[in-house]
Amino acid sequence: MSHKIGLACIIDDDNMYVNLVKRIVEAKNLCNNLMVFQNGKDALNYFEAILTNLNKKTIPEIIFLDLNMPVMDGWEFLDNFTKIKNKLGKTITLYIVSSSINPVDIERAKSINTVKDYLIKPVTIEDLEAIFLKQTL
Amino acid sequence: MLQNELFNNVIQDFNAGYWELYDDPEREIWSEKFYASLGYTKNELESKIEYFLEHLIHQEDVELFRDNFFSYRRNAVSFKQHIKILDKKGSYKLYRCATNDELPVNIKSKISLVFFIEIKLEPEQDITKDNFYYKETAQMTATGSWYVDFQERKSFWDFETRRILEYADNYIPSLKDSANYYAEDSRQQAADLFFNCAMVGTPFNTEIKMVTANKREFWVRAIGKPVYNENKEIIGIRGVFQDIDEIKKKELSLQKSIDIIASQNSRLFNFAHIVSHNLRSHTSNLSLLVQLIEDIDDPKEKIGLVKEIKQISYSLNTTIEHLNEIVAIHTNKDQEKKPVKFQDAFNLVASGIGQMISMSKTKIKTDFSELNTINYIPAYLESILLNLITNAIKYKHQDRDPVIKIKSYSRGSKEFLKVTDNGRGIDMKLFKDKIFGMYKTFHYNKDAVGIGLFLTKNQVESLDGKITVESEVDKGTTFIIEF
Repeated sequence: MSHKIGLACIIDDDNMYVNLVKRIVEAKNLCNNLMVFQNGKDALNYFEAILTNLNKKTIPEIIFLDLNMPVMDGWEFLDNFTKIKNKLGKTITLYIVSSSINPVDIERAKSINTVKDYLIKPVTIEDLEAIFLKQTL
Repeated sequence: MLQNELFNNVIQDFNAGYWELYDDPEREIWSEKFYASLGYTKNELESKIEYFLEHLIHQEDVELFRDNFFSYRRNAVSFKQHIKILDKKGSYKLYRCATNDELPVNIKSKISLVFFIEIKLEPEQDITKDNFYYKETAQMTATGSWYVDFQERKSFWDFETRRILEYADNYIPSLKDSANYYAEDSRQQAADLFFNCAMVGTPFNTEIKMVTANKREFWVRAIGKPVYNENKEIIGIRGVFQDIDEIKKKELSLQKSIDIIASQNSRLFNFAHIVSHNLRSHTSNLSLLVQLIEDIDDPKEKIGLVKEIKQISYSLNTTIEHLNEIVAIHTNKDQEKKPVKFQDAFNLVASGIGQMISMSKTKIKTDFSELNTINYIPAYLESILLNLITNAIKYKHQDRDPVIKIKSYSRGSKEFLKVTDNGRGIDMKLFKDKIFGMYKTFHYNKDAVGIGLFLTKNQVESLDGKITVESEVDKGTTFIIEF
């Protein structure tokens, strides 16, 4: 392994899912730090705040974004995030992780450049390992 | 005399004159109708062929008739011809003259007969005939004609237009107040159509709501086209109104059924989506958990993870309960509606959440004076009030105690309930479409945030009502339910 991922980010309102992923990340030692936002709005606030004080250590290398969330859903976050991501000065890989199997959602997600891939819940431990591994290459 | 009695009767009622031809000696007997149709009495004429040829028949027809008549008499050659005969007033009347064999109905008689059937071929007759068909058509299709004359500045209506608009036969339509013939919400449409037709000659063919003299609104098909003079200037509009009220009402009720079906279908689809989504999030958590348990070697940690299954199972149960509630709405809507007093429903709800109200220092002002009772499913009304009140308290403004105003009222035939709060409000630009949506936030939340308004909307709509929301951040929120 060339290097381990410093910071990953989960944007999801499902506490159970978040806890499970946290455990997997810890057990498999996939990254040093994991940050969690309960909805798109909280996450967006964080990224907008970073813009004023750029510090590469606080920018995640990878984002797992849920679609169905209160306050600000995944789509709206994507719209806003796409506008600012180039100003962050770091490449961020974004995956959508949703339990929606609606083809409309999947097509829409794949048409957005910011989105690397669309993962349907449940994700497997192998999936997560593969994604983190790919990121380090 | 005629021997056949039956024939005799028929011939008497038959509206034509005739001659009976006898031999030995050769003579003709002219029937009463023959005299009458020409206006003569029996004594005024000599009933002989010679006299007829000399005095009564028109010059032009003499030769042909003489030949025909004598061929028939001598050789029994049947004939038919047109013939003009001088009547008592001194003018010629046109007859179709025919022997009995030449008539469309075969009259069997032992005596030879020559019929004289008057032909009323004046132009006047054609018009009456046309008029008859026009009137029939107009009445049977309930289609009235009209004409707006720009030069005379007058409107003209035919009898049928007056009839379908329920005006008296002698009513003179007004051009100046012509807007009044249309239902209020159709006046602009009518004005546009007539204006465009009058100015640029655009014909129209449309469905529009009109008002009768008795103030009854009804649907007509209005068709109009411009009338031009020789200089190609528009000098009027001519057209028809057809009463299509019955058809249109059926169409509208059909459309309403389709809308209801479409909205039910969309709710069903939505529901299927919700079911799939909400159940999937639990099952995928379960699957992830099982993977983790299998993957971990430390037995203590394994046991710790097994406890998580309890949490997932609890959440799954809650979700299924919520889904049951939604299904129940659509089953319960067949429950009988009955008169419910707003005050009673409110009292029940307020006492149920009395602690919540007093703890939050909420003031609730109700006004049910304008409309105190509605016909509704009592449980729904209570559920609607409960959801709106608890929402107002949950999302109160941090700087002030909640004040909720609840008012019932009616506008026309429609009944409303308005619930206004002074809470933190909702950003309508961001959340307009999501307010009534079902979030998955309720998963691990005993408060069930995200299901209340979704249920309320479903309840209201299952009984063909509507719920709308107006809100301003930091000011408050108003929900209006149209029952």
